[in-house]
Amino acid sequence: MFAIRTSRRRPVSAAAAVIALGLTAGLLSGCSSPSDANAGGDSATKGSINWWGWTPEIGVGKQYIAAFNKVYPNIKVTYKQVATASYDAAIRPALASSVGPDVFNIAPGGGIGSIQAYQGSAVDLTPVVSKALGSNWKSKVAAIGPAGLTTTSGKLAALSVGSTFAGSVWINPTMFAKYNLTPPKTFSEWVSVCKAFAAKGATCFEQGAGDNGFNQDLLHAIADSIKPGVWTKAVAGKVKWTDPTLVKAMTVFKSMFGDGIIQKGAVGVQQYPDVNNDFLAGKTAMVMMGTWYMQYSTKAGATAAVSAAGVANAKPFPMVSIPFPDVTGAGNPAPLFGDADYGLAVNNKSKHQKAAETFVTWLGTNEAAQQVVANSLNDISALTSVSPKFDAITLVDSSQQRSTLQALISSASKISEPRLGDVGTALGQAIGVAVSSVAAGNATPTAALTTLQSASKG
Amino acid sequence: MSSTKGRSAARRRSFLRPAGYAWIFPTLIFCVGLLYYSVGYTGYISTLDWNGSAPNPTSVGSANYARAFTDPVFWLAIQHTVISFVVTFTISTVLGFVFAALLHSRPFFGGVYKVVLFVPVVLAPAIMAPVFRQIFANGGQFNWLLTHIGLGGLAQPWLAQSGTALGVILAITIWGGTGVTFILYFAAMGQIDPELLEAAELDGAGNIRRLVSIIWPNVRGTTVALATLSAIGALKTFDIPYLVTTGGPNFATEFLGTLIYRTSIPLGAVGYGAALSILLLVIALIMAIVMNAGRAKREGRADA
Repeated sequence: MFAIRTSRRRPVSAAAAVIALGLTAGLLSGCSSPSDANAGGDSATKGSINWWGWTPEIGVGKQYIAAFNKVYPNIKVTYKQVATASYDAAIRPALASSVGPDVFNIAPGGGIGSIQAYQGSAVDLTPVVSKALGSNWKSKVAAIGPAGLTTTSGKLAALSVGSTFAGSVWINPTMFAKYNLTPPKTFSEWVSVCKAFAAKGATCFEQGAGDNGFNQDLLHAIADSIKPGVWTKAVAGKVKWTDPTLVKAMTVFKSMFGDGIIQKGAVGVQQYPDVNNDFLAGKTAMVMMGTWYMQYSTKAGATAAVSAAGVANAKPFPMVSIPFPDVTGAGNPAPLFGDADYGLAVNNKSKHQKAAETFVTWLGTNEAAQQVVANSLNDISALTSVSPKFDAITLVDSSQQRSTLQALISSASKISEPRLGDVGTALGQAIGVAVSSVAAGNATPTAALTTLQSASKG
Repeated sequence: MSSTKGRSAARRRSFLRPAGYAWIFPTLIFCVGLLYYSVGYTGYISTLDWNGSAPNPTSVGSANYARAFTDPVFWLAIQHTVISFVVTFTISTVLGFVFAALLHSRPFFGGVYKVVLFVPVVLAPAIMAPVFRQIFANGGQFNWLLTHIGLGGLAQPWLAQSGTALGVILAITIWGGTGVTFILYFAAMGQIDPELLEAAELDGAGNIRRLVSIIWPNVRGTTVALATLSAIGALKTFDIPYLVTTGGPNFATEFLGTLIYRTSIPLGAVGYGAALSILLLVIALIMAIVMNAGRAKREGRADA
């Protein structure tokens, strides 16, 4: 009986073992299938490449690829947009493996997709850019691009597609008109405007003070309005964080909470999605966002964004940017500071480096490609010779928006002060602790900056 | 008797037949190949100064462990874990025990109450996090409620203050976990011999006395199991603080899970993050050993 049972079961067991092994092998090898798809020789005009990034939006990415394929039809580009919050978690192991993306986004500074973290996986793009634009290529692109994407050893780790700048404030003119109010130009006007909005039960200005990067933007803007350049010098370690300009900036920052400019409970709020959604839904009149908000000036961009903010039957409003108010009365020009929004890097483990370099170089240096970038109004194009063709862009209200957009782009193109590009990961965290301590009322400006100074030395 | 012995021996042999290995092979591969290999690899990474993608990590020996012991945020995370365990276990136990006792008294709509109590358990934290962020925002529904019941003086930005954010996180954890506590106590109370309760009633014991002197000692096994689950839950805490407060403000809601993630991913200190993970593993093992030893001691006393 026992012998019969075993002899009858053995073939089944053997089959089960084969199936189980097959399943196991299949599961374990599942990750490696993309490399098979990439198999083949390396050519500058032919191949299949994968591109990973947190930006641009998938639709914009497809536009870039479609335009690229008109020139290079034999290079298939597959773009995978990874959520901003997940990008580092995804790209780190991907680059450590041999089957990572051929092209990947990196950004200046120590934040998402940090050049400091991933430059070791990127090839030097200087030769291909020199070939595309000539040896004087640096004079043809916005200086802020290569500045933030070049390593300390001089390697151009990624090629900027476009830049973004912060320091400006965006307003909802419809809300200002509704309550017959004028956008503020000074600290006292800002306080008065916010009191007027509060009296009507509306929110004046929202800041996601739980979001370190945006707190840095606000503090940087205040510091620049007192004395331009001090913040950047402090980041570089050339000025102490306890410098009187920075103490004053931190004091003004703190008073923005106390005087009712920044909403109560801001430390528990994130700039994305909380503040962004409130502004797009018409719940708050002002936010501090950068040039990436230009994309919501277009009718299509604004409608999609307002809808994404949870508004039914979304009706776009003509948002415009205003200069950062002169909060200390120093009379300095309104601050702007920026970096390459992102750069495209070529993975040094890619089996299709030449095809990847063709794509990256085309998007970063080709005039037609850069025109697509400029017209999307997400980034200010990397090539200085290209600017948006507003006749081809449908704005929500051209009469209100076109001149302010042109002024913003014009002033941004002259800026060389980095936004987050020089802020390393550890310094970013130390600044975040100092700023949120003051915002939450746990430390005085001087005490927080003294702690920051000692942390930045370590 | 000998026939029974023979059958069981044959059964034992049949489990050891080579065919059995074929069935457990995939699990063996996953458990040994992934879990234990991953633990070993994490141990190795914990001795490196590595950002997770650089081709040339530097060996730093035990420096990452030394760094952890001098890192105030690590000790803050430990402190929050202990507070979380004590507070959530105590309150969930009291609530779950009381609800279970009340529902054993067969109230009207008892089935509805059971569903209401258990629903939070099946709602994913990722879905509920934005809801709680809205409820406890400065202009949120909790402050609205306080204002409308005459307690407007207590209204405050709950998630924006170091002193209140942890309390909110613990409240959400208790809200999400009490359903399990209730169900386990409800089942355990159903196992108590009704004659015991009737005898106590005949002896003049009131409701409270029966709860304290009869029911509570008889569900001790459940309480011990819940303590273990709560301790494991506290060590694993990640989703609620990460989604509601991202560990802030100023590390006020930082737990070991959020610290490990923040260190390893956004800050890119993968070596240090691995050292923190190993420390978490060691703490979990010590806790498991202590709890097992305690249980063995109690069982030993009970047998004697």
